[in-house]
Amino acid sequence: MIDEVLAASRCTRCGRLVVPPAALCPDHPVSMESAFLPGVGEVISFTTLYSPPEGFKAPLQIALIELEGGARLFCHGDETRDVRIGSRVSVEAVDSVFYFSHMGFADRARLFWRRAGARGEKLTSIGKSLVKGVWRGRPRGKD
Amino acid sequence: MTRFGKRDESLPDLIAEAALAALREAALERPDAIVVAAMNPEEFTGEGNYGSLVNTRLGLSTVPSMRVETATSSGVAAIYAGFAAIAAGIHRAVLVVGGEKMTHVPTPRVSEIIGRSIDPHEKSYGATMPALAGIVTRAAMHRRGMTLKEISQVAVKNHAHSARNPYAHFREPVTLEAVMQSRLVADPLRLFHCCPISDGAAALVLSAEPGAVRIAGIGQGTDTIAVRYRADLTSFRATYEAAQAAYAMAGFGPERVDVAELHDAFTPFELISLEDTGLMPQGKAGRATLDGETAIGGRLPVNPSGGLKARGHPLAATGVAQLVELYWQLTGRATGRQVEASVALGQSIGGLATNNWVTLLEARR
Repeated sequence: MIDEVLAASRCTRCGRLVVPPAALCPDHPVSMESAFLPGVGEVISFTTLYSPPEGFKAPLQIALIELEGGARLFCHGDETRDVRIGSRVSVEAVDSVFYFSHMGFADRARLFWRRAGARGEKLTSIGKSLVKGVWRGRPRGKD
Repeated sequence: MTRFGKRDESLPDLIAEAALAALREAALERPDAIVVAAMNPEEFTGEGNYGSLVNTRLGLSTVPSMRVETATSSGVAAIYAGFAAIAAGIHRAVLVVGGEKMTHVPTPRVSEIIGRSIDPHEKSYGATMPALAGIVTRAAMHRRGMTLKEISQVAVKNHAHSARNPYAHFREPVTLEAVMQSRLVADPLRLFHCCPISDGAAALVLSAEPGAVRIAGIGQGTDTIAVRYRADLTSFRATYEAAQAAYAMAGFGPERVDVAELHDAFTPFELISLEDTGLMPQGKAGRATLDGETAIGGRLPVNPSGGLKARGHPLAATGVAQLVELYWQLTGRATGRQVEASVALGQSIGGLATNNWVTLLEARR
C-alpha cells in the first residue's frame, strides 16, 4: 500500500511533530495527537553505507528528510547521485517503509496542481498509479 | 589498564588484569565497593551478572559490586556511580573497572551488537553507528564547513600519538594520503576515520582521601535516542550539557583545561566535541587541528593516548581508559607522550551521543 500522506503525531504542549506516530512527546511526558503530513520535504543529510547490516543490500542509501512542518524521518532511496543537502524530495510510505525520490519537473508540477485544488486531483491520481507501478517492481532493501 | 588490541584472554581476565593493577597502584587490598562497566558482555561473550562475576574473580566476593551501563560511555557512568557513593559518604574507596571483549566476534556481528544502542525504527532502515556518523559528518561538512582534510588529520595526529603509547591498539603512524584514500565505509566517512574493534579493560580507584588528582567536576548530558528527533545534527546537546554540568561543579570553565581525551569513535566527533565542550570556538576546531594545536606539543593536546581512533575502543573500557590516561598525564607518568598539564578534561559519548559525560580532573598542588 502506498501512502503519500504520512501519519504523524503532534505534541499537545509544544506542537512538535514526529514520524512515525508515537505515544508521548520525546520532550514532554504528554500524550500526542494524531496528525497527517504531506510527503514533501528537504534533504537534511544522507549517506551510502557500503557494509550494511544483514538483510540489506550494499550499497545502501539512507537519508534524513525534514518534512514541511518540521518532522524528520529516515528514508531509503534508490540512489543519491543527484541528491544534495537541501534537495526537495517527495516521500512515500510503501508498506509502512519510507522512500524518497528526487522531485523532477513532473513531481513539482503534480505538487503544484495538488495545491491548486480539485483540478489537480486527476493528475495526482495518474501520477500515483505511475509511482505505484514503479515501486511494485522494487523490493525493499531489507528481505 | 591493559594493553588494548586483539587479546586472547577472556573478559573477566582482562578486567582482573586492569583491576589488580589499579588496586596495587592505590596500595589497597580491599575496596568498599566495586562498580563494573561492560556494555554488552551477554552478547559478546555470553556471560552476564558482571558485578558478581568480577568480584568473585578478584577474590573480593564479599565486596558489594554492581554493573552500570550507558552504552559506549558506560565507563564514565561507572566512575560517576563510584564518585556519587563517595560524595554521599557511603563509601571511602571504590574500585571502578570497565572492559569489553569484541575481536573474537565477526565484524558484521559486532556492528549488529553495537547497533542495539540505536533507535529501533532507525535501525530498521539499516542505520548502523557508521551510517549515523556518516549522516552527521555530511551535515557538518555542509553546515559548518568541516573538510575531509580536517577529519583525516585527526586520524593522522591520533595515530602519531598512539605510536608513543605502549597500551595502544595501533602503534604505526598513518599518512594523510592513506587516510583520505582508505575505502569508503559510510560516505563521506572512510575506514581510517573510524575507530577499530578492540579488546581491553581499564580500572581506577576512587578514594575519599586526598590524592594526587581530584575529580573537580563530572556531568552527564542526554539527547533523544532517535536522531530524527534532533533539530541540530552537527552539535551534540548531550556533550554540551555534560560539559556545562561539569564546569558548574568545578567552578571553572574550559579556559583552564590543558589537555583533553575526547570520544573520537569517528574522527569528525573529535572536532565536534572540541566545540561542544567549549575548548575551541565554533568552527575553529578543524583549522586548529591542521595547525597542530591539538597535537602533543601544541597549545591544547587532544587525545595524547591516541584516542578511540588509535588507542582502540573496547566500548565500556574507553571512558575509564580516558581518565587513566589523564591521571598519568597529570602525575607526569605518561612516558613517551607526556604533556604539561594541571587540569584535564575527559569526554565520553554513549550511543550516537544520546548519553554523554564530561569529567574534569585537577592535579593537587
